[in-house]
Parts: sequence; structure tokens; C-alpha cells
Amino acid sequence: MTMLLIVLLPFLAIGPVWFAARFSRNASFYVAATTTGLGLGLLASLVPEVMAGNVFVDSWPWIERIGLNIAFRMDGLAMLFCILILGIGLMVVIYAKFYLTEDDPIGPFYAMLMTFMGAMLGVVTSENLLLLAMFWELTSISSFLLIGYWRHLPAARQGARLALMITGSGGLFLLAGVLLLQEITGSLELSVVLASGPQILDHDLYWAALICVLMGAFTKSAQFPFHFWLPNAMTAPTPVSAYLHSATMVKAGVFLLARLHPAMSGSPEWFFLVTGAGLTTLAFAAYVALFKHDLKGLLAYSTISHLGIITACLGMSTKWATIAAVFHIMNHAAFKASLFMSAGIVDHECGTRDARLLSGLRHSMPITFGLATLGALAMGGAPFFNGFLSKEMFFKEAYTLSQAHPYWPDAEYWAWIFPVVATVGGLFSVAYSVRFIHDVFFGPEAHDLPKHPHDPPFGMWLPVAILVAVCVVVGVVPMYTAESFLYATASPVTGYDMPEALHLHWWHGLVPELYMTLVAIAAGIGVYTQWKKIAAIGDKLPTIVGKDFFESFIEMLIEGARALDRLVDNQSLQRYMAYTISFATLAGFMAYIEEGWQSGTGVQTPASLVSLVPVILLIAGAFMTDFFQRKRLVSLIFMSVVGLIVSLMFIYFSAPDLGLTQISVEVVTVLLLLLALFVLPQWNPVESGWLRRSRDILVAASAGIGVGALAWGVMTRQQQTIADYYLAESLPKGGGTNVVNVILVDFRGFDTMGEVSVLALASVGIIVMLTGKKPLYPNQVMPFPEERFPLMLTSVTRVLVPTALLVAFYIFMRGHNLPGGGFIAGLVAVVALAMQFVASGLDWTKGRFKLDLVRLSAIGVLLAVGTGLAAFVWGRPFLTSGMLHLHPPGIGEVHIASAMAFDTGVFLVVVGSLVLIIRRLSRYQQTMEVQDKAGGNE
Amino acid sequence: MLEWANIIAIVMMTLSLLMNMWRMAAGPRTLDRVVALDTMYINAIALIILFEIYLDSVLYFEAALLIAMMGFVGTVALSKYFLRGDIIE
Amino acid sequence: MTEPVFYHWMVAPVVIPLVAAMCCLLAGKSLLSVRRLLGLGGITASLAAAIYMFVMAWDGTIFTYGLGEWPMPYGIVFVLDRLSATMVLLTNVLALFAYLYGLSGDDEEGAFFHFLFLMQITGINGAFLTGDMFNLFVFFEILLLTAYVLAVYGGGADRLKGGMRYVFLNLIGSALFLIGVGVLYGITGTLNMADMAVKAAQVGPGDAMMLKAGAFLMMVVFSMKAAIFPLYFWLPKAYASVTAPVAAIYAIMTKVGVYALIRTTILIFGDDRGFVTGLLDDYLLPLALLTLVMGTIGVAAARSLRLMVAYMVIASVGTILVGVGLYTPDGLSGSLYYMVHSTLISAGLFLLADMILNERGGSKDRLEPGPVMPNIVLLGMTFMIAMIIAAGLPPMSGFLGKVFILSAAADTRWHELAWIVMLTGSFFTLVAAARAGSMLFWKTNTAPAGERTRAQRYLPVAGILLVLLLWVGFAGPISEHMDRTAAQAFETSNYIQAVMGGGQ
Repeated sequence: MTMLLIVLLPFLAIGPVWFAARFSRNASFYVAATTTGLGLGLLASLVPEVMAGNVFVDSWPWIERIGLNIAFRMDGLAMLFCILILGIGLMVVIYAKFYLTEDDPIGPFYAMLMTFMGAMLGVVTSENLLLLAMFWELTSISSFLLIGYWRHLPAARQGARLALMITGSGGLFLLAGVLLLQEITGSLELSVVLASGPQILDHDLYWAALICVLMGAFTKSAQFPFHFWLPNAMTAPTPVSAYLHSATMVKAGVFLLARLHPAMSGSPEWFFLVTGAGLTTLAFAAYVALFKHDLKGLLAYSTISHLGIITACLGMSTKWATIAAVFHIMNHAAFKASLFMSAGIVDHECGTRDARLLSGLRHSMPITFGLATLGALAMGGAPFFNGFLSKEMFFKEAYTLSQAHPYWPDAEYWAWIFPVVATVGGLFSVAYSVRFIHDVFFGPEAHDLPKHPHDPPFGMWLPVAILVAVCVVVGVVPMYTAESFLYATASPVTGYDMPEALHLHWWHGLVPELYMTLVAIAAGIGVYTQWKKIAAIGDKLPTIVGKDFFESFIEMLIEGARALDRLVDNQSLQRYMAYTISFATLAGFMAYIEEGWQSGTGVQTPASLVSLVPVILLIAGAFMTDFFQRKRLVSLIFMSVVGLIVSLMFIYFSAPDLGLTQISVEVVTVLLLLLALFVLPQWNPVESGWLRRSRDILVAASAGIGVGALAWGVMTRQQQTIADYYLAESLPKGGGTNVVNVILVDFRGFDTMGEVSVLALASVGIIVMLTGKKPLYPNQVMPFPEERFPLMLTSVTRVLVPTALLVAFYIFMRGHNLPGGGFIAGLVAVVALAMQFVASGLDWTKGRFKLDLVRLSAIGVLLAVGTGLAAFVWGRPFLTSGMLHLHPPGIGEVHIASAMAFDTGVFLVVVGSLVLIIRRLSRYQQTMEVQDKAGGNE
Repeated sequence: MLEWANIIAIVMMTLSLLMNMWRMAAGPRTLDRVVALDTMYINAIALIILFEIYLDSVLYFEAALLIAMMGFVGTVALSKYFLRGDIIE
Repeated sequence: MTEPVFYHWMVAPVVIPLVAAMCCLLAGKSLLSVRRLLGLGGITASLAAAIYMFVMAWDGTIFTYGLGEWPMPYGIVFVLDRLSATMVLLTNVLALFAYLYGLSGDDEEGAFFHFLFLMQITGINGAFLTGDMFNLFVFFEILLLTAYVLAVYGGGADRLKGGMRYVFLNLIGSALFLIGVGVLYGITGTLNMADMAVKAAQVGPGDAMMLKAGAFLMMVVFSMKAAIFPLYFWLPKAYASVTAPVAAIYAIMTKVGVYALIRTTILIFGDDRGFVTGLLDDYLLPLALLTLVMGTIGVAAARSLRLMVAYMVIASVGTILVGVGLYTPDGLSGSLYYMVHSTLISAGLFLLADMILNERGGSKDRLEPGPVMPNIVLLGMTFMIAMIIAAGLPPMSGFLGKVFILSAAADTRWHELAWIVMLTGSFFTLVAAARAGSMLFWKTNTAPAGERTRAQRYLPVAGILLVLLLWVGFAGPISEHMDRTAAQAFETSNYIQAVMGGGQ
């Protein structure tokens, strides 16, 4: 519970610190500091037990199916990191209050800092590896925000994004690694994973898991070649750098290595990859650090270099090297945080942190000078400082490796690479430490600084002083201060395989590591005196700037994505259509590839010669429609032919209902298309090249052939279908002899209900689409001077309407038993009304036909739905049909089937919607005519 | 005898449908095509009725009726298009 | 269920919004408040029905409802199992949020917003509930036609252009659907999905090719609705240009396709189905990965926020189908968890993008430096949280969903490929999200900003984020429910038994 609380506390404080900032900066600060202090207090209650070697594991189930538990583990390693995170966190919280100016909003800053602190605590105390990975990414996100805190600086934005990209992608690798570990060990719990070292090493997936985990660790800990995000993250406010980039976040990577050390180390792969990365980083970064003029840049590279030391130690993997790694983790955190804060003080007070401008500050800033010098001495590894002790241990192990090597027995001279690289790293480390102090604090006093330098307020240097004090005390009397602590913290990393006692001393006699240190110090000072000359040589060497490289890599990816996107998606509708149809054709063809062609076995009806003619006409009509496609009107005429012949065929094959529907729909279509054609170009010009057209022909032809083949295949087969049931039960259960109509209104009335809603929707859609639109091509057809409403036509059609409506009524009424029904009746009525529009004009007809068509179709749909709901009254399911037997006097028995009401609904929707559409389309043309007139008058 | 007459009529109607199609394809004016379409509607009506007589059924009468009506409307709409361009003013 | 079950609430999610929609038409153009009331009432009632159905389906019972009381397989049937109950609930929750956002002003741009919105829900609910192939077509028509109209709702050349693309490509889809249903009916002689599953298993070698062709055509149709490569091209422009509440409700549209894919490939073309056994076992996952790749490329390439979100929808469909394409209960369960997440978060992001667009004045939602938004802090926070959720970063639902799918993919033949593509995809989304965020909120200029967003607009977005946070917090029980849901979906014999056994 305590562990959960420790992790949760900072998260809980996010809201309060932000909110408190509304009242005053101090309030926000107090909340943040109290939270951190409280966390430290909670931690302190656990420390004695952990020091005694106990391991606490608390677990709450969360998502059991993937083994993700909210589980925390407190052992020595976790405790060490918790102390770093909370302890240095407290220093940073105090320091930040003085560092940030009035213009910097402090609420968001502390809120983000708390988020980060919580995430970091989560990383180090997670017992569940997936939970660890989750907190891991959270640190990336919160560091993104913290680095980008000064969002007005372009460099800050870039640095933040860079850090997020690198560490975020590392997090994804880690996620993969964790899941692989789960696959290997069957568990995500550290207790299990740590105990299954041999099993992991022997597994086929070890390589993959190792690479993934190392990618996570190296990106986070800025190991070469992923180091470059760290210097760029120095655009963050200094408290952030001091916290994230010295003590905590970058340490998460080495924490991970340390955490999984017992489970994953012990193989040559581990040794070479980890040690290799560590040594490369340590030497390379130390060299680069020397030439950084920006104090924070120098410290950043120094951090990378020291992380390299830790990584290399963990890679060497011997008992003492591992202990050295843990020791260096704490030492580095202490001195580097103090140095970052000192650099921040210099920056804050002088207005610059460029080592070339700064000089002689020891006079004006004596306290800072003192503290920074002590910190730098620790960084350089001078005796009597904590940095010295862990570095000695590292040197010793490097030397030992050169003598006898577990994985590289025939290395001979090559093994010397370990101590040599270590010493070179140490050498540059000394050099840049000297430079840090000498350039800034010694020499003539600079007078052209942006601000007048002086020592900062007490609150600002106090955290530095505390940290420096730790460095010195540990360095001088390690046996009393650090020994047992180190023992407790290093035990989990070595897998509880510790020497009996540690015996930390700064004097071991005249041993190789001492010589290495002496060489490093002497040569380091030497190099510093010559650093400008060396820098001159360095400038001549080609430099690869990781950031630029990565930025251009990302830029390239984005440009590549755009190019590919353009290539695939050129916004051309024709192309999309081609894709879609080709893909569908291909899908159908897959069936042929997989199964081969199988023709049907059904008995085919012999065709009479006469029935062949309509087929010829149909083919000719279809062909002509295509052939004349550039003359739209002619094409339309041929389409009518196709429609007519199809309806003839339906009739010939004894489907009068379909024939009736087809012919009615055909004419309504022609009307609508003619209306549309008026505002379209009459000619369809040739717009595409022959290549495109050949493609289109190919696509269309293959799709057509495919559909034809399918139709042929279906029609040559006779299967048992549900239609047999409909035929049999239409009269007994549906109460009608016209099966088609009974299917429409009863068997599958629900489909019909849906489709009439679609019709109603369509009419509304036309209204919505045409509202406020003007035709794109006005005056495609010049109105001819002929009479608008020829007398013959008007007189004939006016008689026609009642007749046609009577036909509609007749067709409607007989629908249930003979060809007809609400749908066809509706179409007939629509055509009759449309005739009036054609013959007598929109205004004339509208004046005499004052129905609100939208409401009419709504009522139609509601009637259909209502019929369905009525069934509830009798306790039957929706749309169950019923029959009412009435005996009105004088007429005899009358059957009113519910299907009739349903059909009425269909009728109303058809009439309402289609007339509405026709009317709306013709009004659309009129808006244009009116505009033309208005234009002409001007 | 009547049966034979019927069959001959059906064949002739079918042939005339073919001829309509020929006129339609040949044109030359769009107006010719419209007229051909109208004729086609009429021939189709005749064909349906003859077919109905042949089958001795009454099921197809409405189809003929509707084609008559729809054909008329279709032709009128097309003609109006030729007259004014705008079929509903 | 052996006894016929007449639970009228089974049609409620279809009938209630349909009636409410028609009443909106009756109300006419003038009575805005009446229409709002009808809309809100309709959606709330439908949501209540959905919740009730979800509770009913919780224990694993499969409910069927024969419309018109015709015996199976002759009549149309509604089937409610855990999967459809989950989808219906998701639809209605989403609808409520989107509608609430619409009420804050977008519904005044035209007279038919409420009608269209309600019809949209009708169509989607019906598509999730129906157990009949042709009825599915009908509901597809309803939801698509509504979507066409909603695509151009609010006017503007962009919308018309995007809308046209949407219409044309989906019309092809509808035609293919008809052809496919026709072929399937021609071979199996039935339209009822459960019956079709039975009949498909019995199809002899002489008809195998036809059956498969019909099946593949249906798969193309559903893939198109789901927006799978290479059939997603109708989506980005349309989604990026429509009004915000419409875009939000569109978020579920691709999931209708995904649902249809899941249902048909498991029930009808799943295990032991003769020649169509495991129809998509070899095809779906590679296509899903390609979709994920193309979607992610689109996300990286997008120059406006809404286009980016639209591509995120495509990428998320890819992710979902990776889980589905494994054809294991584990995979499906992960996909379902992820599907709910991705639907809600895309909707939330579309709404958020609209608020950002309005506050950025002339810069709109283009990913370029723009003015400082009046509400920059609150919007920025919301945007960041939403993006963390969407990009699949921990500890949010996107991350968990991805982990579910990743761990389901482990130990299968797709292991490496799926992992590499999914994780790389996550990386690119992360990069793009960070770019977009820093562009919109950090890189500012002095151009005049737009209006301050009204407080009521935050409500739906906050609601969506809250639901998603709960989705994380209760991920344990939820994922167990999804496990049961997936297991039930794979127990096809129960489904067939429930449908065919009842009503005989």
C-alpha cells in the first residue's frame, strides 16, 4: 500500500499544484514540495526493512488476461532510485521556484514535474514489466512537455519532439521486448522473470528480446548512436535538465539494464552489445563534451559519457563491475544535478551560459564558484570525491577484463581496448571538468555580460550545497556512509550474489586503477591546456550531427509518406473507381483461381426464335447506350429501350409485377434524367487519353464479364430456396395470391419498411443537396421559342390525370392478389402528376396540388411502421400481419388486412418522395432562369 | 386458323421491333430516334396483348396498359425537351 | 432458445429513432425546439433500449426476434448476442455525444439535421441487429443514404466534393452487395445468415466456385465499408470535410463494415463451412496490415488536423482487423476492446478538431503556424490527452488495446510481421501527433484568432474522454467481457441453434 501511495502521490498532486498556482506561486510551490517531502517520508518508512534485505511486492489484479497487474516491488534498486527521484526532486522543486521568472507559469510547470515524478517512480517500482513499459512511455510524454516548456523557442519545440521521438520509439521497443519476455517466461512479473535467467538465455527469442530491451534502454539513456536527443533537450529550463537529464529520466535506461541484469546478462551477446555501446559512448561523448561552449551542452555530453560508464559496467557484468555501476548511478546523480544547477545559476545571473563569454566569475559569485568547483572535482573523478570511488572500481574492472576474458579468450592485445578506452574517457572527463571551472570562474573578469552577475538567493544555492555535501561526505568517508547502502542497493542487480563485504576505500595501494587515474588526470589537464588546438583539428574532421541526421530522416519519411500518398491517392474519382472495381473483379476471380469454373447442371429452357429477338434488342440497346455515350440524350433514349425490353422479358418469363415496376421506374428515371440533363452539357467531351481509356475499357469489360459469368452460373443452377415456402404459404398465411406482393408487404415487410424510409430519405437528400446551389452549367440547352404549354398537350393530360389515378387505385387494390400493389400504384400516380408538371407547368400544378410532400412521405413511413407496431396490441412481434373482419351494414363482409395499411404507407411514400424530387429538380432549373433574367436586366 | 394468325402477328411485331431498333441506331436525327422509341412502345403493347391471347391469360393486360401510359409520358417528356429544353417549367 | 421469444424491445433501437425521425419531418422547418426534443428523446430512448439489451445479453443468452412472426429461415430475424449488443450500445453512446455537440449550433445550418441524424442511428442499429443478409443490405442503404446527405450537410464546395466521392464509391459497393447477395442466395437458397451458414457447409464441389465468388464479393463490400486497403479512398476527404457531429457519428460507420466482416467470416465463412471454411484466413490480416501502413502514411502526410484524424480512422481499422484476422478468440477480444476505444476517440478528435478549427480563425485546422487560440490551455490539455489515447500511448485505452492484439498475435504465424508493422505504425502516429500538437499549440503567430468555444461544446468531448478513462480503469472486467463476447461469436453452433431452433 505504501508503495502504491508513493507512486500515486505525485499524480494526485497534479491538479492541486496547477490549481494552487491560481492563488500564488508560493502556494503551488508548497503543494509540490509537500508532496515530494511526503513521498520521501513514506519512503523512509520502508528504508530500514529494505536495507535489511527484504523485498516488498504488492499486487492488485488489473487485466488478468494479459497478465497485467498493478504490482509494485520495493527492493534495494527501487529504493535507490526512489531516493534519487524524490530527493533530487525536492531539490529541483525548491530550485525551480527561484529559477523560474514571474512570466513563466509555475502551475503547469509543477504539474508536469509531478507527472514526470510519478511516472518515474512508477518505472522504478513496477513489479509488472508491462506496467513498467507503461510508466516508461509516460516519462517520455511528460519529458516532452517539460522540454517544450518554453514553447516560444523553436529549439525547445524541436528538442522536445526529438526527445519524444527517440525515447518514445525506444518505449515501443521496450514494449515488444517485455511482451517477448512474457512469451519466454510466461509471466510479466519481475519475480518470475528474474528467476528464469537460464530459461531466457536459452530461448530462441532471446536475441529479439535482448535487442528490444536494449533499444529501450539505450534510447532512454542516450547511448551512442541514440545520444543526440539529450544535448538538444538542453533547451529545457535548467531545473528540468538537472532533474530529468542528470538524475532521473536518463537513468531509467541504465535502471532497466540493472533491473533485468540478473535475467538477461551472462551471454556474449549481452556483453558485447552493452559493453560496446557503453565504451563507445563514454569515450566519444567525453571527447565531444570538451568542445561544447554551452555549459549545459558540456554537461549534457558529460552525462552521456557517464551513462556510458554505467552501461559499460553493467555490460561487463562481473560482480564488482555491477556494484560499480550502481555506485556510479548514485554518485553521478548527486554531482551532475548539482552541476546542472550551478550552470543554471550562472545562466540565471549572467544571462548567458556560453563558456566563451563567461570569465572570472569567482569574484562576483564566490558561493557558486565554490560549489561548482567541488561538483566538478567529483565529476572529474578527483580523489576524496565520490566520483573517484566508482570510477576506480570501473577502471579496476576494465583492467581485469584485459587480463582474462570470459567471452573473448583469444583477444590477446585487443583486450587492452577496455582499460585504454576507459582511461581515454577519464582523461577527457578531467579535461572538460577543468574547462568548466577554469573558463567560467577564472581568468579576467568579464564585463560585457547581459546581466550583472552576483550570487543567487539562499534558496537557489541551498540544493546545490546539499548535493555537493553528499558528494564530499561519500568521497571522504565511504565506509561509514555508503557501504551498507550500496550493499543493499546493488544486491538485486547482481541477483543477490554479492561479495561478503564491500570495503569502500579511496586508497587501495599502488594498483593499476590508480595509475590509470593518475594518467587520466595528468593527461586531462594537459589536454585542457591544448584544447583549442585539438578543437581546431576536430573541426576539420567531418562531423555527423545526429540531430540533423535524424531530423532529415524524419523529414524524409514525411515527404516520402506524402509522395506515396500522392502516388496512390491523386484525388481522382475515376482512379478510385478503377481501384474499387478492379479489386472486386479480382476478388471474384480468386474464386475461379481457387476452385476453377463449374457450370451449372440445371435444365435449360429451350428458346424460341421469337424470344431471341428481344435478347438481340437488349444487347443492341445496351451496346448503343455505350456507343452514343458522348451524346447524352441519345444515350438516354437507348437506355429507355433497354428498360422496355427488360420489362418485356420479365413479362415473358411470367413476372408481370416486375415488368410493371420496371416500366414505371424506367419512365420516372427518364423524367429525372431529362430534368438533370437540362443543366448538364449535352455533349460529353473526350477528356482522357487513350491509355486511360484502354484501362477503363479493360476494367469495365472484365467486371462485366465477371458479373455475366456469375449471373450465368446462378441461373444455370436450380437450388432449393426459401421461395418455395413463399409460393406455398402466400395464400394460406399471407392472405394473397400475388406472391410478389405478399413478400413485399408481409414475408419481408420489414425490408420494404426500410426501403420506403430510404425513399423518404432520398427526397430529403435532394432538398438538402440542392439548397442554395446554382447549376454549374447554365444554359446548356437554349429554350426554343416554341409555345411553352401546347394546347393539345395540356387538354389531353388534364383528362389523363383522373384516369391515371383511377388506374393507380385499381392497381393498388388488386395488388394483394394480382399484379400490382402500393409501389407500382404509387409510381403510376407519380407519373400522372409529373405529366401535369410537364404539360401545364410547375406553378399551375403546384397551385392545384397543395400537399406538403415531405410530410406526406413521413406519414407514409409512419403508417407502415404503425402497422408494425399495431401487432404489439395483440402481443405479436413487430409487423405480424393480421386480418380484420368487419360486417358493415349493407355491404357484407369486408376483410381489411393489415397489409393493406402497410401498402398504403408505401404508396404515400412513393408519391410524396418522387413528386417532391421531380418538383425540387425543376425548381432548381428555375432558380437559374430567374438568375438569367436578373442578369439580363442589369 | 386464329392461332396461326396470332403467331404470324407475333412474328411480324417482333420483326418490327427489330426495325424500330434499326431506325433508332441509324437516326440520323435525334428526333427520328424519339419517334422510333415511341413506335417501339406501341409495338411492345401489341406484342404483349398478342402474347396474352396466345397464352389465353388475363395477367398481362395491366402491363400493356401501363406501357401505353408510360410510353406516352416518356415520349411527351422527350418531345417537351426538344421543344423547350426544360421539361417542367 | 428453443421457445419463440417475443421481446419487443429488440426492435426498439430501430423503431424508436425511425419514428422520431419521421416526426421530425412532420414537425417541419420552423419548430427547432420540437425537433431538438424529438432528437434527444429518440436517442435517449434508443440508448436506454441499448443498455437494457446489453444487460440482457450479458449472461450469454442469444435472443432472436422474428419480424412478422414468420418461421425461420423464411422471415427476417433480429439477433442479439453479446457482440451485437456491444455494438448497439456503442453506437447509441456515441450518437448521444455527437448529437449533443450538434445541438450547440450545427443543427441550425439546415432544417433536416435531426431527421438525418436519427435515420443514421436507425440504419446503424439495424445493421448491427439484423440476422438476415438482405435486411443487412436494406440497413446499409439507410445508413449510407443518410451518410451521403450528411456528407454535404452544411454546404460548401469541399463537402460536395468529398461527398460525391463518398456517394459514387459506395454506390459501387451497394451494387456489389446486391450481386453478392444474389449469388449467395442463388447457391444457398436462403438469406438468413444462420441458415446460410448451415447451407454453405453443405454446398457440393459443383457449386464451390459460385459460392466462393459470392462470398468474396460480400467480403469486398464489407471491406469497403470498413475502409480497407485498397478500398478506403472514399473516406479521408469525406470525413475531413463534413460537419463535426457528422464526422463523429461517421466514426462508427467503418465499424459497421468491420462488424459485418467479423460476423460473416466467423459465422458463415468460418470453421467447418465446406468450401468456404476460413474464407479470409489468409487474406484479411495482410490486407489489415497494409491498411495500417497506408493509414499511418496518411496520418504522417496529412496537412490538416481533420484529414489526419480521418487517416487515423483508417489506421485504426487496420489495427482492429489485425486482431480479427488472427481468427482466434483472443485476437477478436482485443480487437473489440480496441474498436470501442478507436470509435470513441476518433469521434472525440473530430469534435475537438472542430473546436480548434473555430478558435484558429483563418488558419482553420491546417497544420501550420496559426494564431493563439483564446482557449489554448484547456484545448491543448484536451488535445494532448485525446492524442495520447488515440496514438496508443500508455496508460490509455489505445495502448491496452494494442497490447491485447499484440499479445494475441504472439505465437501465431503472423507474429513478427504484425508486431513490426503495428509498432512502427505506433511510432509514426506518435511522430505525427507530436508534430501536429506542437504546430497547433506551440508554433503560434499573431494572426487574429477565432471565437472562443462555448462551454457546452466541451461537454460531449469531456464525456467521451471520461468514458475512455473508464475504459482503461475497468479494463480488467471489460476485457473479460470481450473475451466472453469473442468466445460467443466463435460458438457459431449456439447462434445457429438460437436462430433456427426458435420459431419453427
